[in-house]
Amino acid sequence: MATGIIKVAPPPEDKNLFQMAYGYASTIFSGMWKTLTIFLKQITGREKTNTLEWPEQPATYSDRFKGKHFLTRRDDGQVRCTACFLCATACPAECIHIVAGQHPTNEIEKFPVRFEIDILRCVFCGFCEEACPVDAIRLGPEYAMAGAAGDKWVYTKDYLADRGQLHGGVVSVKEENTKHFTVDHEASGDNLLATDAPHMRHH
Amino acid sequence: MAEQKPKIILQTEGLPDQHSLKTYVEKVNGYTAARKVLGGMSREQVIEEVKQAGLRGRGGAGFLTGLKWSFVPKDITGPKYLICNNDESEPGTFKDRYLCITNPHQVIEGMIIAAYAIGANKGYIYTRWEYQEEIRYLENAIKEAYDAGLLGKNLFGSGFDFDLDHYTGAGAYICGEETGLISSLEGKKGQPKVKPPFPAVSGYLSRPTIVNNTETLANVPWIINNGAKAFRQFGTEKSPGTKLFSISGALNKPGVYEVPLGYPFASLLNIEAGGMQPGRTLKALIPGGASAPVLTPAECEGLTMDFEAMAQRNTMLGSGAVMVIDDRQSMAELLKVTIEFFAHESCGQCTPCREGTGWLNNIMDGIMDRSAKPDNIARLGSVARNMGGKTICALSDACAMPVMSYVQKFSGELQAYLAAGSGGHSK
Amino acid sequence: MSTETVTFNLNDRDITVPKGTTVMEAAHKHNVYIPHFCWHPGLSIAGVCRFCLVKVDNRPKLEIACNLQATPGMKVSTLLPEVKEAHKWALEFHLVNHPLDCPICDQAGECKLQDFYMEVGKYKSEMDRPKVLKPKALDVGSELVLDTERCILCDRCVRFEQEVTKTGALGIFNRGDRAVVGTYPDKKIEHNYQDNLVDICPVGAFTSRDFRFKQRVWFLKDQPAVCPGCSTGCHVKVYGKPQVRTYFRVKPQESEVNGHWMCDVGRKTYKHLNQDQRLRFAVAADGKGGRQRVSVAEAIASLALQLQGVAASDIALLVSPQYTCEEYDALFAFFVKKLGVSKVFQWREPTENLDAFDGLLYRGDHNPNTFGLSEALAKAGLPKDVKNGFEDLARSGAKVVVALAPEIEFQFPSLAGQLQKLSELAFVSVWTTSGSAYNVKGLRHLVPLKGFAEKKGTFRNFQGKVGELAKPFPAAVDEAKDVVEVVTALAEVWAHA
Repeated sequence: MATGIIKVAPPPEDKNLFQMAYGYASTIFSGMWKTLTIFLKQITGREKTNTLEWPEQPATYSDRFKGKHFLTRRDDGQVRCTACFLCATACPAECIHIVAGQHPTNEIEKFPVRFEIDILRCVFCGFCEEACPVDAIRLGPEYAMAGAAGDKWVYTKDYLADRGQLHGGVVSVKEENTKHFTVDHEASGDNLLATDAPHMRHH
Repeated sequence: MAEQKPKIILQTEGLPDQHSLKTYVEKVNGYTAARKVLGGMSREQVIEEVKQAGLRGRGGAGFLTGLKWSFVPKDITGPKYLICNNDESEPGTFKDRYLCITNPHQVIEGMIIAAYAIGANKGYIYTRWEYQEEIRYLENAIKEAYDAGLLGKNLFGSGFDFDLDHYTGAGAYICGEETGLISSLEGKKGQPKVKPPFPAVSGYLSRPTIVNNTETLANVPWIINNGAKAFRQFGTEKSPGTKLFSISGALNKPGVYEVPLGYPFASLLNIEAGGMQPGRTLKALIPGGASAPVLTPAECEGLTMDFEAMAQRNTMLGSGAVMVIDDRQSMAELLKVTIEFFAHESCGQCTPCREGTGWLNNIMDGIMDRSAKPDNIARLGSVARNMGGKTICALSDACAMPVMSYVQKFSGELQAYLAAGSGGHSK
Repeated sequence: MSTETVTFNLNDRDITVPKGTTVMEAAHKHNVYIPHFCWHPGLSIAGVCRFCLVKVDNRPKLEIACNLQATPGMKVSTLLPEVKEAHKWALEFHLVNHPLDCPICDQAGECKLQDFYMEVGKYKSEMDRPKVLKPKALDVGSELVLDTERCILCDRCVRFEQEVTKTGALGIFNRGDRAVVGTYPDKKIEHNYQDNLVDICPVGAFTSRDFRFKQRVWFLKDQPAVCPGCSTGCHVKVYGKPQVRTYFRVKPQESEVNGHWMCDVGRKTYKHLNQDQRLRFAVAADGKGGRQRVSVAEAIASLALQLQGVAASDIALLVSPQYTCEEYDALFAFFVKKLGVSKVFQWREPTENLDAFDGLLYRGDHNPNTFGLSEALAKAGLPKDVKNGFEDLARSGAKVVVALAPEIEFQFPSLAGQLQKLSELAFVSVWTTSGSAYNVKGLRHLVPLKGFAEKKGTFRNFQGKVGELAKPFPAAVDEAKDVVEVVTALAEVWAHA
């Protein structure tokens, strides 16, 4: 006998036909018995089931649950999204389609004219939420998304920002630029159109 | 060093009609040096004499004048230019204006000699616009000189022509930088040019140009008349000659004084300037204009007014603008004023200066209104440290060096300023 | 130029360059990257960004490479820690007042600030104070949008205006960190080279109005091509997103022909390639006096039938000088050599002024391959002088006409009228990229073609220089073919008829 030989379990003995049949029947019986006892216990209320009686009992998920997407809004009601395309780039399923446009006001400049998520492609990974630099898109708590074959499976911007369950929209607080400070060009004497003679600055 | 106070630059000071041509010619041998030079000295001889004298630029940089003149290529044709940099804008400096009112003709004579030395037939005096009175004196002196045949064609019958024009700035510190001045003179924005090429090779209108400070040029006639050795009798070995110091602050007799280089600071303060006003003590000293690092009173022990002693203390003699800071002055406010000046005057061409001076000013605003966090004081130092040495001209260093010195030497007071008032809440 | 050379050491590599070359130019030629903003090979030296700092020998101060002439034996390093530290702070200073506009800025993805930030980055910025604000989204020219807050004052645009277009329309106003770039009061930029400002601007200060917000640049693919706008034949890059069969812009590529620039007219030559402008399928007569959609093969078959029914002298070709040399060779090999057609006319714009030249790049001959067509005609033994043949075609009495339409229609004001006239001929087969031929009801035989960015071939510019279309995009229209393919298929059908 060489060294290094590991002891293993002894090989199964050959069973005869009766032993095999017994083993087969006994395991089936014990399984069925288990099912029957649990069934009777649960149906008489002696044991709690893990089944959730949905929709009478709502499902509860943690705050981190990744459900239906929604677009957040600014204080004045416009969507926060600046159509930077980072979510579309990060999305592994390539299901976000954005068309950017010039906003009428210069403060905002860029906004999404169209923002669509093909929800059947979405894998709910949350990369879009992570990628967004202005907290414009979040995956919310809604989990009930079943529907029929002919339904709309592309969520448009209005649906994402404005649907009923959002109760008027969610405002996100995000300091973009420090735009609440301005340089007083007049006071510093550097008026672009200054035609006065230069003067000494006095303190 | 002699006890007598030599008058090399302000020779006509105190004489009746001190600024007039008559006084200059009759009382202090005016224009004899120019006659001597044009009467038979060669260009090389003139440059050599000034080199031997060891005259250093009096505008702030302290570069050897004779050496600078020798950079002008000798054997090329075409115009060359001599420019007198009278754009005295370094805060605290008022010596050139005094020189213009007291002895303008010495400047003109110095220019004639310098122009001859470098082969220039055209000269400009560039004075800052704010010096309206000084401009009048200079233009008057130029007129007097032209009328007497001391400027224009064939000076002293030597065949050498020299035309002198006067040109004013328009309110920019950066036009005191030599290439900034040249740009302004060319009619462009007064922005310094990248060097190389250096002005001595390609300056005004891309021609060889020498830019010298007013006071530097005023030294030249005396050197020619009395010789380099006589010049070297005053001052120190590395800083020969005399210098005009414009000393200001809470003093009994602030003003412009001509003393030999190497003169003890204590004497300048107590004798010439009459000492500090009653009840005031010395808190800090800025020896060479706002761009010079500040000195504490301890560092002023045994300080002499020359280039080497200043360099040894990591500051600079600069333009000789001695600002005596007394105990009433808040160093935080002084720093703010200094930084704000440079931020306002930065021409904006190169990024470290443009953004750096602006950033320093921004941080300083935060310290002044106490909205800044405590680490901002150290940040002043780190920003300043990284601004210097990488820019087209020295304005960036001029801002950075004093800031670093304040942070190094007065950070306690800056911290206290920040912490005081409104609980020092941070942004 | 003297042929004296200088050898110096750059990052432990000995490099030999002509005397007078700066270190930056030498590095550029030898593919050593020295980060910079304000230097540009097509403009003068400014030396204002202070970013291209390098360590030279043992000099205490770092020097800028763009203004540093190479001297023999000089030792230059861009890799020392001292240099890297300088780069970090240089970038920090550039970013101090730069607005956080990346999400809304079109330059994102090709922005030098972003690139250097990733490469050099002082990732933790020390700037926690309010930034300087300046005017944004200004209209300074028909092709441009200027955002002065994003500007890093590198001065490239000002130098471009002074040196290249010699119009001097831009300046930098104010001092210090209040400095802004802009045009003079009530003046705009009004020349044919505005989009070059967008190209040279390293950040999103100048952006293209045409391209504004259309697409993020990292989704775009680019392929080299030759601009089909005029006979200068600037080398360009066409940018598109093949997955959606859309083209977005054209940018110049540096070459001997056009230097670093191209004109704004040429920038528009991607628009006709997009699907909404294209002829998407072949069309043939339906036998009932009308027309119907057919496959390209069917259209070719019906054309072959028409050609067989007439003599060679009744066939005419109307050829626009906007096709490649290879296409002309194939065309003439079949029609002229094989079939014996001799009536070949050039389809040119009657109002063209061939001598026009704007002084920089744009020429009056608005066709990329007039030279190539003349050469191909000469090779086929036909008269090669440049002449608009439309009237001659009308007078020739040809019964079957094969017309290769001009691809760039916005420079062809007479086209609509000419298409109408063509439709009055007995039988005409128009081969074209554009859908405008489809709008003329009388044209009942149409073959869709590939655009210039979708086929391989060569153009020859006004000097005869060869410009290659080497890397085509997949055609935006499935059915489109190039002329070589169509003629080959036609020859095939012909041979078996």
